[in-house]
Amino acid sequence: MKSRKVGIVGAGAVGATAAYTLAMMGTCHEIVLFDIAEGVAKGKAIDMAQASYYSAQGTIITAAEDASDIKDCDIVVVTAGVPRKGDMTRADLLMINAKITKQVVENIKENSPDAIILCVSNPLDVMTYVTKQITGWDNNRIIGLAGALDGSRMAYQIQKLTGYASNQTGSLVIGDHGENMIPLPQKVSVGDIPLTELVSKQDMEGIIERTKFGGAEIVKHLGTSGYYGPGRAIAHMVEAILNDSKAIVSCCTILDGEYGYKDVAVGVPIVLGANGVEKIIELELDKETKEKFDVSVNSIQDGINILKENNFFS
Amino acid sequence: MANKVTVIGTGNFGSTVAFILAMRGSCHEVVLRGRNIDVAKGKALDMSQAANAAREHTVVRAATGPEDIAGSKIVVITAGAPRTPGMSRDDLLIKNAEIVKMYSLEIKEHAPNAIVVVVSNPLDVMTYVVHKYTGFARERILGMAGILDAARMAHFIYEKLGYGAGQIRATVMGGHGDTMVPLPKFTTVAGVPIDDLLDSEEIGEIVKKTRNGGAQIVNLLGDGSAYYAPAKSTSVMVEAILRDTKQIHSCAVMLKGEYGYSDMVSGVPVMIGNDGAEQVIEMTLKTLQRTRFKNSVASVQEMVDILYGNGFFDDCKEKKVGKK
Repeated sequence: MKSRKVGIVGAGAVGATAAYTLAMMGTCHEIVLFDIAEGVAKGKAIDMAQASYYSAQGTIITAAEDASDIKDCDIVVVTAGVPRKGDMTRADLLMINAKITKQVVENIKENSPDAIILCVSNPLDVMTYVTKQITGWDNNRIIGLAGALDGSRMAYQIQKLTGYASNQTGSLVIGDHGENMIPLPQKVSVGDIPLTELVSKQDMEGIIERTKFGGAEIVKHLGTSGYYGPGRAIAHMVEAILNDSKAIVSCCTILDGEYGYKDVAVGVPIVLGANGVEKIIELELDKETKEKFDVSVNSIQDGINILKENNFFS
Repeated sequence: MANKVTVIGTGNFGSTVAFILAMRGSCHEVVLRGRNIDVAKGKALDMSQAANAAREHTVVRAATGPEDIAGSKIVVITAGAPRTPGMSRDDLLIKNAEIVKMYSLEIKEHAPNAIVVVVSNPLDVMTYVVHKYTGFARERILGMAGILDAARMAHFIYEKLGYGAGQIRATVMGGHGDTMVPLPKFTTVAGVPIDDLLDSEEIGEIVKKTRNGGAQIVNLLGDGSAYYAPAKSTSVMVEAILRDTKQIHSCAVMLKGEYGYSDMVSGVPVMIGNDGAEQVIEMTLKTLQRTRFKNSVASVQEMVDILYGNGFFDDCKEKKVGKK
């Protein structure tokens, strides 16, 4: 019997919040949680399964005993990875997380061969690229969470500044999911009114800066990364795929000539539907934005090169 | 497969089904198939624009021909003729059977993988006709009956109790309407059995009101029948299929020995998922309910026999399996 099933690898705060959000929204029939810490996945799965009595559709949530239980999923969300610790270099972190991603993705390839993979592990763009290389799947089936989250953070900044409802605000952010991300508040509108009509150029700069540090701001207060925003943004993407809604969402995707780049993963607006990335939308970028985009792609390329130099792909 | 639902019939019923699906973003595409293409186009435009107002992704389109239903995951058949003065019940039965037959053949040709949700009346008989003319597996043909009757019963229970709206789960089986078989044992208010809350006389009164629920609205409206609750009930089934909810709802399906009947359609609890009526659930019925169910099936059988008697199924490839 076929079932609308989502696998989530990593039952930490982000993975668990994504699972909980999906269950409460009733987006799918079944969710399988996997974590190397088995008790965590199991305990959270039972808790959520009991909560789902009050949810839209009584979604079933189970814990995978083994990575191979992430089986026959329509979508697998990969949130596995370690955070950067004190003495770790960027290259160290890259290698560690790339290895984790590789292991996880090889399992998915074997047990959910028709799935769409949604990468959430950091550094996001490089891990999305790693996922593509390890699976060898078509580009449309590999997607990274980037703009969906960064865009919601930008909408939040706009709401704080203007006081207008944030769910009426556009949310366009492109580039890498890191320090060179490119929020584009000048291109969005609030309730159909261009933001340029509502805030000053200086305010616009402030929105861009605060959006870029949206993640760091939460870390500053919480001592750890945010997970409600990421969890809900993941659910948004999963829903768009399962419902085949053809929604435009900024996501990290593998470029094949678009924006002048190939063989690299970076955040751009795409159309999300049943086949994953159904179309890449090429925005007209002005000179300044194009330069920022080049810097952003280069920073991702640097990460990929570190992996290549360490013979990760060979 | 594209997330596409076709609604056949652009009257109040079909339009309201399409509108609910669009307002909830239940699917990506809704196709309206009606005889009057301009009306279908007008309503489709209006609904597509409403979907934008609701910030939903659903696009509603009008079919200009049968080929436009291709690729539908679900086809809802609401088409049927109204009873006009001088028309006998049998005339209406045959006329509606002809309409449903035509669309069944159309679905078989153009949307051979679709799941069919039937709402044309008399419901159980029309579901039977869809079976015979599509030849689809029984999981893929579901008649909308029990959800509506249960919703009506829940409403009348609420009227009597004065509390619990939205928390009442009523269960009915059998034919749609006059011959429905209410199951008070399986009817609860937030988990509390209804017979702990009302006495048998009160329950009897509620059942009577429910049986008469459709007619009551017809009499009040003066022209036409109910469509809000029927359309919502239909959308519940459509969503259960699309979202693979595995929820149990009472639906009219072809029986294959369950409850002691074969080659006959009646309302029974089924589990709904991606593949349609994935499982038929057999409940233990008490003597009284078994008798009522038998009478209900007999009344459907009678109408099916009228169709056979009039040679309606003579050109049908799916032969009668023999009757009970």
